[in-house]
Amino acid sequence: MLTTTTKTALSTIAALCLAASVQAADLGQPEGETILTISGEITTTNAGATATFDQAMLEAMDTVTYETETIWTEGPQTFTGVLLSDLMELVGATGDSLAATAINDYAVKIPATDWVDGGPIIAYLQNGNPMSVRDKGPLWVIYPYDDNPDYQSEVTYSRSIWQLDRITVEK
Amino acid sequence: MTRTVALATTPDRADQRRRTRFQTGMAVAVLVVCVSLIAGMALFILREIEDLSSANSDNVQWSLSQADVEFIRFQLALSQAQVDGDAEHLNLLRRRYDIFYSRMTTLRTGTVYADVRQDFEFTRHLLAVDSFLNDVMPVIDAPDSELLAGLPLLTRKAQMVFPDVRSMSLAGLAAFAERSDERRTGLISMLVVLAVVLAVIFSGLVLFAYFLFRLYRLAETRADLVVEASEHTRMIVSAAPDAIIVTDANGRILDFNPEAQRTFGHSRSAALGEDALTFLFAEESADDLRRELASDDDAPTRHFETRDRALAGERAKAEFLAVMSHEMRTPLNGMLGTMQLMRDHKLDERQTDLLDRMERSGRQLHGLVDDVLDLSKFEAGKMTASRKPFSIGRVLDGVVETAAPLASAAQNDLGWSWQGPEKDDAIGDARRLRQVLLNLVGNAIKFTRGGSVDIEVECLRDGKTLEIRVIDTGIGISSDDMTRIFNDFETLDSSYARQAGGTGLGLGIAQRLIRLMGGEIGAESEPGEGSIFWVRMPLCADGVEAEAVPAAEVEDRTPSRSLDLLLVEDNETNRFVARQMLEAEGHRVTEAVNGRAGLEWAEDRAFDVILMDVSMPVMDGPEATRRIRAGGGPSSDRPIIAVTAHALPEEIEGFEAAGMNACISKPLSRAKLMTTLADIVDGAGAGQSRGAAPSRSDLIDTEQLDILRAGLPEDRRDDILQRFIDETDQTIARLSTDTPEAEGLVARVHACAGNCGTFGAVALRAALAGIETNSKRGTPITRDQLTALAPLWQDTRAALLDHIQ
Repeated sequence: MLTTTTKTALSTIAALCLAASVQAADLGQPEGETILTISGEITTTNAGATATFDQAMLEAMDTVTYETETIWTEGPQTFTGVLLSDLMELVGATGDSLAATAINDYAVKIPATDWVDGGPIIAYLQNGNPMSVRDKGPLWVIYPYDDNPDYQSEVTYSRSIWQLDRITVEK
Repeated sequence: MTRTVALATTPDRADQRRRTRFQTGMAVAVLVVCVSLIAGMALFILREIEDLSSANSDNVQWSLSQADVEFIRFQLALSQAQVDGDAEHLNLLRRRYDIFYSRMTTLRTGTVYADVRQDFEFTRHLLAVDSFLNDVMPVIDAPDSELLAGLPLLTRKAQMVFPDVRSMSLAGLAAFAERSDERRTGLISMLVVLAVVLAVIFSGLVLFAYFLFRLYRLAETRADLVVEASEHTRMIVSAAPDAIIVTDANGRILDFNPEAQRTFGHSRSAALGEDALTFLFAEESADDLRRELASDDDAPTRHFETRDRALAGERAKAEFLAVMSHEMRTPLNGMLGTMQLMRDHKLDERQTDLLDRMERSGRQLHGLVDDVLDLSKFEAGKMTASRKPFSIGRVLDGVVETAAPLASAAQNDLGWSWQGPEKDDAIGDARRLRQVLLNLVGNAIKFTRGGSVDIEVECLRDGKTLEIRVIDTGIGISSDDMTRIFNDFETLDSSYARQAGGTGLGLGIAQRLIRLMGGEIGAESEPGEGSIFWVRMPLCADGVEAEAVPAAEVEDRTPSRSLDLLLVEDNETNRFVARQMLEAEGHRVTEAVNGRAGLEWAEDRAFDVILMDVSMPVMDGPEATRRIRAGGGPSSDRPIIAVTAHALPEEIEGFEAAGMNACISKPLSRAKLMTTLADIVDGAGAGQSRGAAPSRSDLIDTEQLDILRAGLPEDRRDDILQRFIDETDQTIARLSTDTPEAEGLVARVHACAGNCGTFGAVALRAALAGIETNSKRGTPITRDQLTALAPLWQDTRAALLDHIQ
C-alpha cells in the first residue's frame, strides 16, 4: 500500500515537472475525424478545455507494438499504438486516474499507477490494420498480457476497454 | 553406590542400539512420507494458483446481458430511423449495428467464451443471430436512400431474430452458471483433498515428533551414561595413589590428579594446557623422554611382557627342580637300601669301611635332594605344617642322638637341657622342628672344633612360646655375613664350610619352616667366640593333649609272629630291598608290580598285611585300596600300609579315607618297617602297657596342675578340681563296664582325655589316647584296654588329692 502511494506520488511529481516543459507545445488540430477526446485535469489542450485527436495525430506519436494473446480474440495478435503514459504526458494530465468511455457507453477507471512504460497502449492497429467499430475499433486499450502475467487479471481485463472514444482525467 | 546400581541396570547395549536404529528409521520414513505429501500437494496447489492467477473469465455475465441490451438499442435506433429518416439517425443506426456486431464477434471468437460455446443451445442461437447480422449487413452498408428503403424489412427481420438473441444470452448464462458450479465443486473437492492431506501430514508430524522425543530421551540417557563414565574415570584418576597425567596427542596436559600435584608440586590449574614434558621436566630429560617415547610406543607393554616371561621362567625352574629331586630320590633310596642289605653279608673291615663311606655320601646326597625338594615345595606353596601333640624332650633326645656321631667326630660336646620349668607336651609339627634343629645343630658342629654345642630349651613366661637356643663356641659369624646367612644358596666362605659342603639351603629352609609353624628364627654371633641360633614358636599351649610320641619311633619292636605279606610296588629296586628286609625277619613276601596286580592278589588270598606303594602306573595305591576294601575278597579287611616317598599331611588324610591303616615313608629302614608292622599286627600302645607299675610322678604332672590352680580364683579352685574328680569317677566307671563296641565310647574317651590333660593326669590321658588312636586307625579296641582304666584312675585320683594337700 505504501509502495503504491509512493509510486503515485512520484508519478504525480514527475507529471507536474514535465507538464511545465510541454505547456507551450502545440498539440496541433485534428484534420480527419476526431476519434479521441481528452478532458478533465489536463494542461495541454487544443479544443477549449479538451484535447482532441484524429488517427494521424496519434500515428505521429512514438509507437509501441505488443504481441500477445487476449481472452477476446483467437490466436496471437499484434497491437500497435501509443503508450497511455506518453499520451497523458502529452496532454499534461495531473490527475490520479482517468475515466475511459467507449462508443458503446462502457466506462472504466484506469489509475495513474497504470500509466507507465511497459504498461497499456491505446492501440489503433490490430495485426497491422486499422480497426473498425465492428472490430472493436477504432481505439482499444491493450495491456501486454503475455509479457507480464500480472496483467492477466480481471481488473486489467475490465480496464482493457475497446471502441474507446473519450477520456476524462480525474483528481 | 548409586552409580554402580545405575550402571548395572543399564539395558543391553546392542538392544539399545537396535532400538535407536529402528526409531531413527521410523522417524526418517515418517519424514519422507510427509515431505512427499507436502511436495505433491504443493505441486497441485501451484497449478491451481496458476489457473486462478491468470483470470480467464472477464465479466462473462455482463457481456452476455450486454448483447441483449445492445440489440434492443439497435432496435430502438431502427424504429427512430423509421420515424425520422435523416442522416443522423441512419448513422446512429449503423453505429448500433456495429456495436452489436462487435459484441457478437467477441462472443463467437473470444477464448473466454469457449466454455460457453460448448453449450449446444447457446451456439445454435448464436449462429442464428450471426446469420441475421450477415444477412442485413449489405443494407446497413448501403447508401442512406437504400437503407431507408430497407428499414421495414430490417425491422421485421430484427423482430424475428430477437428471440434468438434473448435465448442465446439466457443459454449462455445458464451454461456459465453450470461451469461456475463445476468449478466450485472442483474447488471444494480440492479443499477436501487438501484437508485430508493436511490431516495426514499433521499425524505424520505428530508421529515424527514422538520419534524425535524418543530419540531425544535415548540421547539424553546416553549422555548421562557418558557423563557417569567420565565421572567414574575422573574419580578413579583423582583417587589413584599414583600420579596420573592425561595428555592429548600433542602432549598438552588435559588432567592432573591430586597425586601428580603432590609429586610434581604444580597445581592442577597451572598444569592444564601446558606441554607435559617441558612443564614437568628439565629440558635435557624432557628431550630424552620425548626421544624415548617417540622411539618406543609400547614400552609399558614390553615391560609387562618381560616381567611375565621372567615369572613364567621362575615357575618352570621351580617345577623342574621339584620333579628332578623327586626322581633322584628313587634310585638313591634303592642304593641306600641295598647298602643296608650288604651289611647282612659277611664283610671284612676294609669293606665295612668302604660301605660306611658310601652310605655317608649317600645320606648326604639324600639330604641335599631333600633340601631342594623342600625348597621347591615352598616355592610351589605346597608346604603345610601339621598340628599334632608331641613330646619336646623326645624330639631333642632324637636330635642329639642323631648328631652325636658328627659332634664327636669334630671333638665337640653336644647336649641339651631345660632352662626354667620343664614343659614336655606340645602341639605342632615335630618332624619339621626336628629338621630345623638338626640343621642348626649340624651347622654349629660344622663350624666348631674341639668346643661345645649346647641346646637350651625354655618355655617363655607367656606360657605358650617355646624358645630353643643352639649355642656353639665355634668361629662365629661376622656382622656382614649375618645378614646373608638366611638367604638361599648362601655358603660362607670358610674352610669348614667347604669341607662340610652343602647346598646353602639349610638356613633358608629352616627359616621357611619356622615361619610356616608361626614362629621366628634368628642368630647372634661374636666372631671368634661363637654363635647363638634361636627359634621361637608357639608350641606350649594350655590344655595340650600331648600324645606320647609313638613308642615305635624310639623303641625297636618286631611283630610277634611271622607274617604273610603282599608287597605292591612298581620300582624293582625298592621291591627287592623291601623283600630282603622282610624275609630277613622271617616273613613271607608276595610281590605285585602295580595296583591292579595287587588287587588281583588280594582278591585271591588272605594276606596278614598289605604294603602298598602310592604312586604306581596302571592303578595307584589309594585306588587299589578302595577296590580291595569294597571287593569283599579274602583280604578286604586286612591292614594296608601306605608306602610313600614324601607324603604331605593332607595326602595322608587321603590315604586314610581310601582305607589305608598306616603310612610309612621311604626310604625304608628295617627298624621302621618292623615297628610299623608290630603296631599294626599287635596293636598300638601294646609296648607301653607292658611297662612296670607307674610311679606317682608318672601319674600326674604336678607342674601342670600347679599352673592350672594358680590361674584359677582361690575360692573356686577346689570346687573345680572336685568336679573334675566326680566327672571322671562316673566316666571311668562307665568305660570299665563298656564293651569295646559300645555306642559313644570314643566320644567319652576323647572328652575324658581332654580333661585329664588339663588337670595333669598324664598317665590316664595317655591310656585314653591309646584307645582313641586304635579307634582312629581302625585297630580293634581291646577289653583289656578298658578294664585297665579303673585301677589307673584310682592311683591317679589318690596322687591328685595327695598333691593338693
